[in-house]
Amino acid sequence: MPSSTTDHASRRVIGARAALIWGVIATVLVTVASVGVFLVAPEDADQGAIQRIFYFHVAIALVSLVAFAVACVAGILFLRTRKLRWDDVSVTAVRIGILFSVLVIITGSIWAKASWGTWWVWADPRLVTYLIVVLIYAAYFVLRSSVDDDRRLRFSAIYAIVGFVSVPLSFYSVRVAQSFVHPVVFTSGGANMPNSMLIWFLISLAAMLALFIALLEVELVGRRTERALRALTLRLESS
Amino acid sequence: MSTAVNRPRWTRQLAGLIRKDLRLELRTKETVVAMVLFAIVTLTIMQFGFGTRDDDLTRFTGGLMWVTLAFTAVLGVGRSYVAEREQRVLDGILVSPVPRIVLLAAKAIAIVIYMTITELVVIPVVGIFFVKGPYWDSIGWIALVALIANVCIALSGTLFSGLALFTRARDLILPVLFLPALVPVIIAGAGATHAVVGGPHDMSEYRGYCLFLVGYAILFLLVCIATYDAVFDD
Repeated sequence: MPSSTTDHASRRVIGARAALIWGVIATVLVTVASVGVFLVAPEDADQGAIQRIFYFHVAIALVSLVAFAVACVAGILFLRTRKLRWDDVSVTAVRIGILFSVLVIITGSIWAKASWGTWWVWADPRLVTYLIVVLIYAAYFVLRSSVDDDRRLRFSAIYAIVGFVSVPLSFYSVRVAQSFVHPVVFTSGGANMPNSMLIWFLISLAAMLALFIALLEVELVGRRTERALRALTLRLESS
Repeated sequence: MSTAVNRPRWTRQLAGLIRKDLRLELRTKETVVAMVLFAIVTLTIMQFGFGTRDDDLTRFTGGLMWVTLAFTAVLGVGRSYVAEREQRVLDGILVSPVPRIVLLAAKAIAIVIYMTITELVVIPVVGIFFVKGPYWDSIGWIALVALIANVCIALSGTLFSGLALFTRARDLILPVLFLPALVPVIIAGAGATHAVVGGPHDMSEYRGYCLFLVGYAILFLLVCIATYDAVFDD
């Protein structure tokens, strides 16, 4: 087989093109969202400039939940099919989900300091929930690193499912236990903001979603490349 | 020639497995005695941990009780597979035609029994040590929420102890896995206790926490049913 055809086939298996496309989409959307949030969106009459953090804070929070949902679904698919790619998707989604959850805590703390004068508010159920979520998913990697071989994949998949079930339980338990001080952005009646803000929030949400997919694709490419390289090394050694 | 295997019914299998755990515990008395002692030591440390010698910690009854019970649960759940692990009993059970879900149910019921025995000591001791006010009238309500929470602890604990069983440094892994998942149970248990002792005596709040715990137990039961086969799928 000609080498250019082999290269093309390898690239297709590894999925580098999808990662590149999503990388470009994410870069464009994050740039547009940043410009819109900081330069175009109207300033909130009550909270002032600090309110602008909400565009990213809420978007990151929602996307982190999407990441954990993806990890859970990939975990279920792994247990059903035992295909390695689902484990790759699950572990990568958890990794990005934790990163986003930590960002939620950091941006939430900044917002708390500006709004309530303190970095941490135990009465804020969502901030506390995200702390618990980070603790739950941090244990995922402790578990993963302390089991070997086939069990590592199985146990990771099981824990990704259990972790996702624990998220709403943690949120609800913290919420019923404490007075509700968090600003309510979305109610059952719809978004609690004017359209001039809503549009930038939706663009930020799309940007964060695209960033998640791009990071997922890049990480998956890395994992597939590493596996392909290992297989090639083994083949060369045995020949 | 008939190939039918005379397999015992699942109820007999379940009863046999529970009997095995309880008989082992009655002979050695290792787990429950250790759990009770650990709980009393923890409660004593709690008093000193506050930094002030206050006789009346009624306001904190729920927190004191449920933090103690959560740590005690970690100890009990961690011990639940020790006999199987050390004597290779687990290998025997896994090759026998016992459905994994029966194994889960047996372990969970054993943990509920261990926790209930521990609470028979812990709940009165909390009242004697920390509460200076009406407590004994509410003890039935505390016992009820403890019983529901025990089911939650047992279901999630059995799943996590099954996972931790095959890990390196398993004694360290179990609390890291188990305690974050237990946070909602601690919040609801402490909230329900506070609702009837040292708090507003609000029964609707108490009911809300109990219903939450029932929801937690149902969700974890479903997760256990869906995933427990995969834990021992070797």
